[in-house]
Amino acid sequence: MASKYIDVVVAGIRTLTPRIREYLLAAADGRPLPRYEPGAHVALHMVSDTRGPIVRHYSLIGGLAGEDDPRHVYRIAVQREDRARGSAFIHDTFEPGTRLRISPPVNDFPLDRRDASTLLIAGGIGVTPIVSMTRSLARRGCRYSVVYAGRNAAFMAYRDTLARLAGDRVRFHHSDEEGVLDLRGLLASQPEDTRAYVCGPAPMIAAARQAGADLGWEPDRVRSELFAAGPASDETAFEVELRRSGKLVQVGPDASILDALRLADVPVLWDCARGECGLCPLPVVSADGPIDHRDRYLSEEERAAGHTLCICVSRLRGTRLVLDA
Amino acid sequence: MNRIADPIPELRTDFHFEPGGFADHATPLVRNCWYVAGLSSEITRELRSRRFLGVDVALYRTQAGEPVAVRNRCPHRSFPLAKGRLEGDVLMCGYHGMQFDPSGRCVKMPSMPLVPTNAQVRSYPIVERAPLVWIWMGDPDHADQALIPDTSWLASPDWKSVGGTFHMKADYVSMHENLLDQTHFPFLHPGAIGTPEYARSKLDVRQEGDVVIIDRALKNSPPPDVYGVPTGLTGKPVDRYSEARFASPGLHVAFARIVDNHDPAGKPRTYRFNITHAFTPETNGSIHYWWFNSRDSNLQDPAADAYLYEASAKAYLEDVDALEWILDVVTHDAEPQFDLNFAPDKPGLLMRRALYDMAAREAGVRF
Repeated sequence: MASKYIDVVVAGIRTLTPRIREYLLAAADGRPLPRYEPGAHVALHMVSDTRGPIVRHYSLIGGLAGEDDPRHVYRIAVQREDRARGSAFIHDTFEPGTRLRISPPVNDFPLDRRDASTLLIAGGIGVTPIVSMTRSLARRGCRYSVVYAGRNAAFMAYRDTLARLAGDRVRFHHSDEEGVLDLRGLLASQPEDTRAYVCGPAPMIAAARQAGADLGWEPDRVRSELFAAGPASDETAFEVELRRSGKLVQVGPDASILDALRLADVPVLWDCARGECGLCPLPVVSADGPIDHRDRYLSEEERAAGHTLCICVSRLRGTRLVLDA
Repeated sequence: MNRIADPIPELRTDFHFEPGGFADHATPLVRNCWYVAGLSSEITRELRSRRFLGVDVALYRTQAGEPVAVRNRCPHRSFPLAKGRLEGDVLMCGYHGMQFDPSGRCVKMPSMPLVPTNAQVRSYPIVERAPLVWIWMGDPDHADQALIPDTSWLASPDWKSVGGTFHMKADYVSMHENLLDQTHFPFLHPGAIGTPEYARSKLDVRQEGDVVIIDRALKNSPPPDVYGVPTGLTGKPVDRYSEARFASPGLHVAFARIVDNHDPAGKPRTYRFNITHAFTPETNGSIHYWWFNSRDSNLQDPAADAYLYEASAKAYLEDVDALEWILDVVTHDAEPQFDLNFAPDKPGLLMRRALYDMAAREAGVRF
């Protein structure tokens, strides 16, 4: 099945905290957008005049109180990162009426409806899927609790929304005053049948998993969002030469080789775009620097040999990559 | 190349909603509703498939006895998962052995070195309220179990139920309209159910939100056989009260009370009958239908069971035939027709307007 982009228009912008803004993305044709379940995210495909293609992934938040947003609207929140260019591009250029393309929702972080008891843990901007999950659990009358950690109230987007949705089931942790959240204590206080869903900075996710392991939890009882496709902050640009077709494609710091090839209408095979399905690897003819393998598909031997790479996530630490394509 | 990864499957329709519309066979089906997926006895450790609202669903039970519903379509190559097999609680596709837990998460893809974290088959909220199992095909965020309609009499020791099932090629709108329309009883169901006096008796209709309720009372008149035979009141003048409810897009319930003011014990005696019609659209033009006739008297009377079963099954088969004939005419006759309406059609029209408004709301249309 062909992946369809959806054309959207920025329909509203709100400043939530000094660094976080909320954007309403409305279907350009006014028709209902695909439905999604809590935990789903969309990819925003943008093109910067100076930096080329930019792709970023954002969780879908849904309506603010118990209400659903209109069917033709998606709500996302973007935190401006100091070094990251994608979020800065969005903050600097998005205004009401800005048009862009998104991919249909993907859910790699679904709630399991069989859970007898649910613990949601949000850290900072990781609150966005947690809002959506909280709404779902509240609506369905489930047994759940929420812990939302941030520096202090002024830096915590959707604090009021969570308070309205979850009432006394939500606890706010202000690390400026209270220090690091005691995840081990939190998990230890849970009933036997609780499953935890964590979305936050990488150290928080690692700490939650470690706390679960220390307490003897089954690994699957702590679930987290894994944004494998998210680029690191120090990416560099390089160019890709396609030996057979003779094309030369620029890969900017804000998009993958796959993004750049698709934008250049190069026919490539791909599916998951997160380094797992093994469909996108292309043979490497030459590389003037080391290949930074970030997939979960290739074997250690294949990586070491350097004859192939997953173009959806892996990059070149160099300037020119020649592929047999 | 890339699939559309897991947005909730949705048939984008170009149906155009207009203010003041009435649902008919072509109106988009209401999805945000608990529908009956089957009888408890139908959902077992044997995989089975059934289509609801146009979507194929695979049904089974876990080893702990919990019902499970997942889309009957492997996300890899669309193999019907119900043609695969169960290994414990894990459903294994019969094509490439892809394995899913009861929540729909992929737990193994044998041809791959790791479990693809983005692979899942859609699962549906499913809840057992014996003897029924209910499924929610719409937005799972709204699948509040408190919305499951009350059918507690089906499991109560104070009641005795007989029941049956049909698969019919008719639309759920006409089915609801048929059930709210009691003026057809003496003609489509002569004998057991309808009496001409009943057809002409006054009815009150009211609407509470999306629920349409009709009340009828007919005093001092002999009951039809379907009530007379199981109670032994045949030929005796009784007061008869009935309430019929369009309870939800998936359920119609009727509560009948037969009051014998001349009971030998010297004071009025009430006999109650609850009639349950649960039906779930398979498509816009076909439905799965389960009916129950429940009574609170003569519980241990096999002859009453047999009589009620035979009389009900005969009458409902007459309804099935009629509605199939009607849909065949409506969809195949080349010349369109705007059907006439009469005063007794008011409950049906209120129901059709409510169904239309529900479908419009789901499509995001606001009038």
